[in-house]
Amino acid sequence: MGSWKMKPVALGLASFLIILLAWESVVRLGWINPFFISQPSAVAATLGRAARSGELGRNLAVSLREFAVGYGLSVILGILAGACAGRFRTVEYALDPFLWFLYSAPLIAFYPVFVLWFGLGVPTVIALAFLLSFPQIAASTLNGFRNVSPGLIRAARSFGATEKDLLWKVALPASVPMVIAGLRLGIGRALMGVVVGELFGSTAGLGYSISYYGGLLKTTDLIASLIVIVTLGVLCTQGLSALEARFDSWRVED
Amino acid sequence: MRLTYRTLISTLAVAAFLAVWELAPRIGAVDATFTSRPSRVLAAGLDIVATGGFLNDVSVSLAEFAIGFGLAIVIGVPLGLLLGRFPVLRHLLDPPIMAIYSTPHLALLPIIVVWLGIGMQSKIAVAFVGGVIPILVNAAAGVRGIERSWIVAARSFCANRWDVFVKVILPGSLPGVILGVRLGLSRAVLGVVVGEMYQSQAGLGNKVMRYGSEFRTDYLLFYVLLISLFSLAATTAVRTLEEKLWAAGK
Repeated sequence: MGSWKMKPVALGLASFLIILLAWESVVRLGWINPFFISQPSAVAATLGRAARSGELGRNLAVSLREFAVGYGLSVILGILAGACAGRFRTVEYALDPFLWFLYSAPLIAFYPVFVLWFGLGVPTVIALAFLLSFPQIAASTLNGFRNVSPGLIRAARSFGATEKDLLWKVALPASVPMVIAGLRLGIGRALMGVVVGELFGSTAGLGYSISYYGGLLKTTDLIASLIVIVTLGVLCTQGLSALEARFDSWRVED
Repeated sequence: MRLTYRTLISTLAVAAFLAVWELAPRIGAVDATFTSRPSRVLAAGLDIVATGGFLNDVSVSLAEFAIGFGLAIVIGVPLGLLLGRFPVLRHLLDPPIMAIYSTPHLALLPIIVVWLGIGMQSKIAVAFVGGVIPILVNAAAGVRGIERSWIVAARSFCANRWDVFVKVILPGSLPGVILGVRLGLSRAVLGVVVGEMYQSQAGLGNKVMRYGSEFRTDYLLFYVLLISLFSLAATTAVRTLEEKLWAAGK
């Protein structure tokens, strides 16, 4: 049992170790110029320095705040819009073309319009994070409401459930897994909005720092910020995946 | 009957949106400098298409997309099938792949520009990175979703490894592969456009950024809508293919 579960973990750790070792060695052996790919030891040193000087904390705080506001807004409004559309057919039909457009259009292209509306900086980044994650959350919530098993509704009805009971006791709990799946997918998109928004125009944040150091051709600092972004993405996604697994555990295969 | 009601409501909603967008600036409720108007976007579009240089931008962007996404399919599908087939390989490569998958791939733009410059190569690379990961992950998932009994059955009828691969694994993983292609497609389009918006000399994203900085909202919106339309059309095409495939599979 133990060895069964440990094997993927061990291989996964091994793969990161191999990547780090290979990366460090090709630079040490002089096969690739560190100007292009830096090297793990230098990146680690830079990360440590940035953490001590407070630069890392500042950038992280700015990005996290933008993320929290943009993503928080789309969680509230996305679940609300999705639930309304899931409850009332007419709302669904009216929202459908817009959700479909927002979902599949490359929304980041609207960035210059946002700059015109909100000005350069934090509000535009928040708008981008909101707009990218909102359609995902709304669509998943709608799907969750749509796909409540008719058997559950029939059973509740035949035990005398009212419309209100149906919403609170059947539709809402049954759609929770889909909603959480939407929240998980929305995180990646909101993070994308924050990073790209900062990449284009801002004065602080992780996206700003990768763009800033890229402009200065300081690869080591660039990669250090990139690694913080990767870690953030992995942590958020893993956290929501764990939550998803918990909320889905009551469901039985049919 | 229900379908017609649906179409009616959807059409009405879009028409209402366009009407508000057209009329609000006209009656002075909002400033058209910021929102433009559908009629002005249309006029800008005609102007853009009529003047030279438009086709050049379109072909630059299309070429970047086609090469980057083509490479993503050519490399992503076989690699995904291998990962799905060999668990050791999968356990080894899964963590780095998942780490890249949960990271916004556009965050790689600055370093890709350092490596490849501001020409077409960097956009091709971003489109590739955006496209290849979903294709790879879903192709691998497609292989893992194949009923083991099919493989066992093929084996017991004396199929060799190659037969199993061509006759069971390849068709069986097709739904996963197509799903990956559809998910990768919009990420690749995004990669090209945002790559051009970030640093470039030509292409649709380049024009988006230029007209944005010149406050020419109608021109800007025409380009944005054109890109969106392309993305929608391409995604819809793959989705139709997907549904046909599902129907044929049943």
